[in-house]
Amino acid sequence: METTGADIVLRTLEREGVEAIFGYPGANSLPLHDRMIDSPVRHFMMRHEQAAAHAADGYARATGRVGVCLSTSGPGATNLVTGIATAFMDSTPLVALTAQVSTDLLGRDAFQETDIIGITLPITKHSFQVKDINDLGLSLRQAFALARSGRPGPVLVDLPKNILSATGPIRENRFDETPIAALKNQSNGNGLREIAEALNRSKRPVVIIGGGVKWSGADRKVNELIHGAGIPFATTMMGIGSVQAANGLNLGFIGTHGHDLANRIVHQSDFILAVGTRFTDRSTSRLDEFAPLARVAHIDIDPTSIGKNVPVDLPYVGDIAQALTALLPLVRSRNRTGWLQKIRRERTLLEDRLPNGGCGEAGQFIDRLQKVLPEETTVVTDVGLNQIWTVRTWNARAPRSLITNGGMGTMGFGLPAAIGAKIGTPEREVVLIIGDGGFLMNIQELATISYYRLPIKIVVINNGQLGMIRQIQDLFYDARFTTITLGNHTDLVAVARGFGIPAGRVRAGGDTEKEIEAFRKARGPYLLEAAVDPENYVYPIIPPGRSNIDMIYGKCA
Amino acid sequence: MDCRDIEYTLTLLVNNRPGVLSRIAGVLGSRGCNIASLCVAPTADAAVSRITLTGGADGDFTEKIKKQLDKLVDVIAVENYTGPRFIQRELMLIGLRLGGERRADLLRAIDLFGGRIVSMDGDYTVYEVAGTREQTQAVLSHLEPFGVEIMNRTGPIAVPRYGSGNGSLAPDPAG
Ligand SMILES: Cc1ncc(C[n+]2csc(CCOP(=O)(O)OP(=O)(O)O)c2C)c(N)n1
Repeated sequence: METTGADIVLRTLEREGVEAIFGYPGANSLPLHDRMIDSPVRHFMMRHEQAAAHAADGYARATGRVGVCLSTSGPGATNLVTGIATAFMDSTPLVALTAQVSTDLLGRDAFQETDIIGITLPITKHSFQVKDINDLGLSLRQAFALARSGRPGPVLVDLPKNILSATGPIRENRFDETPIAALKNQSNGNGLREIAEALNRSKRPVVIIGGGVKWSGADRKVNELIHGAGIPFATTMMGIGSVQAANGLNLGFIGTHGHDLANRIVHQSDFILAVGTRFTDRSTSRLDEFAPLARVAHIDIDPTSIGKNVPVDLPYVGDIAQALTALLPLVRSRNRTGWLQKIRRERTLLEDRLPNGGCGEAGQFIDRLQKVLPEETTVVTDVGLNQIWTVRTWNARAPRSLITNGGMGTMGFGLPAAIGAKIGTPEREVVLIIGDGGFLMNIQELATISYYRLPIKIVVINNGQLGMIRQIQDLFYDARFTTITLGNHTDLVAVARGFGIPAGRVRAGGDTEKEIEAFRKARGPYLLEAAVDPENYVYPIIPPGRSNIDMIYGKCA
Repeated sequence: MDCRDIEYTLTLLVNNRPGVLSRIAGVLGSRGCNIASLCVAPTADAAVSRITLTGGADGDFTEKIKKQLDKLVDVIAVENYTGPRFIQRELMLIGLRLGGERRADLLRAIDLFGGRIVSMDGDYTVYEVAGTREQTQAVLSHLEPFGVEIMNRTGPIAVPRYGSGNGSLAPDPAG
C-alpha cells in the first residue's frame, strides 16, 4: 500500500504518542496540513512561529514528553530559532518540524528557502534533512529518540515539500531505540561507591539539585536521599520544585538571584553532591570563589556538563534516577547536629535581614494569589523581576509545577509556554506571571488563548518599566536610567478585552481582595493587571563579577 | 574554555554524511578554537570516514573538546592522538624550478631529505616528501631559498604506534 510523506509524518507522531503540536502554515508545509484533517493529532495554530516553539517547550516542561512544533520554510523556520535555542539551553526534549523547498530547488535560493539546519546547528542536538521518502519514517523516529534520550534537547527535521507530497510504501520499519538511548560514556559502579564514602565521611555536606533531576524523573529518589540521610539541599533555579521543603533542610536556590542562605551554606560546605546541573555562571558566580572548601561529586547524564565549569573530584556519568537508586543503599545517615544547627542559626539571622523575602509588594501579591489557587496549580513565568519574584515566592510543590526558562532568559517565553502547559495538562490550573515588557513580546498569543478558549490565568505585573534592567542601572550604573521606560499609556485591560479576554486591574500593594476573587473564579481565560512600584526590586542580589557570598541587600549595602 | 599553544591531534570516526564536518567545525569554532589542519578520508567501510584534526589547546581543553565531539550523533568515536604514542605523518608537494648552477645543490638536498621527484616539466619540478610536521617544515625552510613556486601539504594523519596491549614509549624513529 502507498501513502504520502505527510501521512508518514502524522502516523509517526501518533505512534510517538503526540497528541498536540503547535505550528503555523505556509505554502511548503501545506501537504502536511492538508492531511491533518484525517489525523487524531491536534494542531494548534499559534499566531507566531516563535510562540509555536515556546508552546511546544512549555508542553514538554509541563508533561515531561517531547514537544513538537511545526513551521513552513524560510521565515517560518527562522522564527522558530529563539524558541529552539531556549529549549536547547534548558534541555527540553523538542522536535521541530520545518517544511523546506522541494529537493530539486534546494541550493538555488528558491522562494522561502533557508538553510535552517545550518542556522540551528549550535542549538540542536541533531538534525535531519529528509531527501528520500524511504528515510522519512526512520528519521522521525530517530529524532524523537534523540530528543528524549541522554540529556534531552531539540532535534530538527527539515521536510522538503516534495517529500511531504510524494507517495511511498507504508513500511512498518522496526525501530530499535536502544542504540540511541544507550549512553556512550556511562560510569561504572565504583564511582558511586566513592561518592557514597565521601558523602558518609563529610561533616558539612550539601546536595545541589539542578533541572536534570526533573528530566530524569528522579525527584522521588532525591527526596529519599535527602530525607533518609538528613542532608541539607540547595537547588539551582531550574531545580526548584524537585524536592519539597522539609525539616529545615531546604536552603533555597543558589546564584545571582538566589537565596543568601543557600549561597552561604554551599560556600561553607566540605562536600557537594551535585545532581543534574551544569553549574552555570548564574549559579556559581565567580568560579574561583565558589565552594572553596568542598570536594565535589557530580552525577549527570551529560559528560560534557561534568567538569566544564566547576572542577569535579568525583564524576559520575549516568541517569540520575538509576544512579541514585544504586547510591541510596550505600549512604548512611550520621549525626551532623553542628552543621544543621549552624544552618538554623544563619537562617534566622538572614530572615531578619530580609522582610517580605526581598520581593516587596510584588512578592506579597504573588503569595496572596497562590493562597487562593488550587494546590495543583502550574505557575509559568516570563523573564525579569517577575520571574525572580515568582521563583522566590511561589511554593512549588511538584517538579513540573513551576515553569521558567533559565539558560536563555528569553523574554516573551511565558505567554506561549503557558499555552503549551495548559494544553499538555488541561486538568491543572495554569497561571502565568509576566512583566509588561515580556507580555508585549508575544502579545499576539492572546488571540490563540481566546480562539481556543484556553482557561489560562494571566497576571501582568506592570511597573511601566523593564524592571530588571532598571534595577541593574540603579545599582550598578549609578542610577543613570536609559531605555527602560515602557510607559503607562497602554491600557492592557482594554487590550485583553479587545482580544476577547475578560480582565481586571489592581494595585499589588492596595486592596486586592475583590479582584483576586474575580481572578480565582474565572472559568475561562482571564487577565489581571497588577501595578507595582517601579522601585520594587528584588533583593538580595550579587553584583556582577562578585562571588556568591557577596550578596547585597540594598542600594548602599 | 580557551585554546593554548600546545598542539593536539584528534581523530574521529564519523558517519560519511553531508553536514558532519560543519557540526564538528561548529563545536570547535564556537569555543574559539582554530583548526590548524584537517584531513578527511573514507575508511575501509565507505559509510565511515576518518577525520584527523590538529590545533592548539592545553590538555584539559583537549579532553573537554573530545567530550563535546563525542556527543555529536554522527561521531562514532573520538581519540586523542596527541603525543609520542602515535605516529604522525603528513605529505607535502613542492613545485620549484631546478634551473641554473644551483641545480646540483638542490638535487642533493632533495636526496638528503628522502623525498622524490614525482614530475618534471622543463625545469619545473614537483617534489614529494612525507614526514612529521617538523620534518616537512624543515624541508620547506631549506628549499625556500631555491624559489618554491607552490607548496601544498595534507596536514598530519596519525595512527597508534603500538598494537593494543603494548604500551612502551619508544621514540619515533623518524622524529
Ligand atoms: C528577548 C530578550 N530581550 C532582552 C532581554 C534582556 N532583559 C532581561 S530582563 C528585561 C526586562 C524585563 O522587563 P519586563 O518584562 O517588564 O519584566 P520586569 O523585569 O519588569 O518584571 C530585559 C529587557 C531578555 N532577557 N530577553
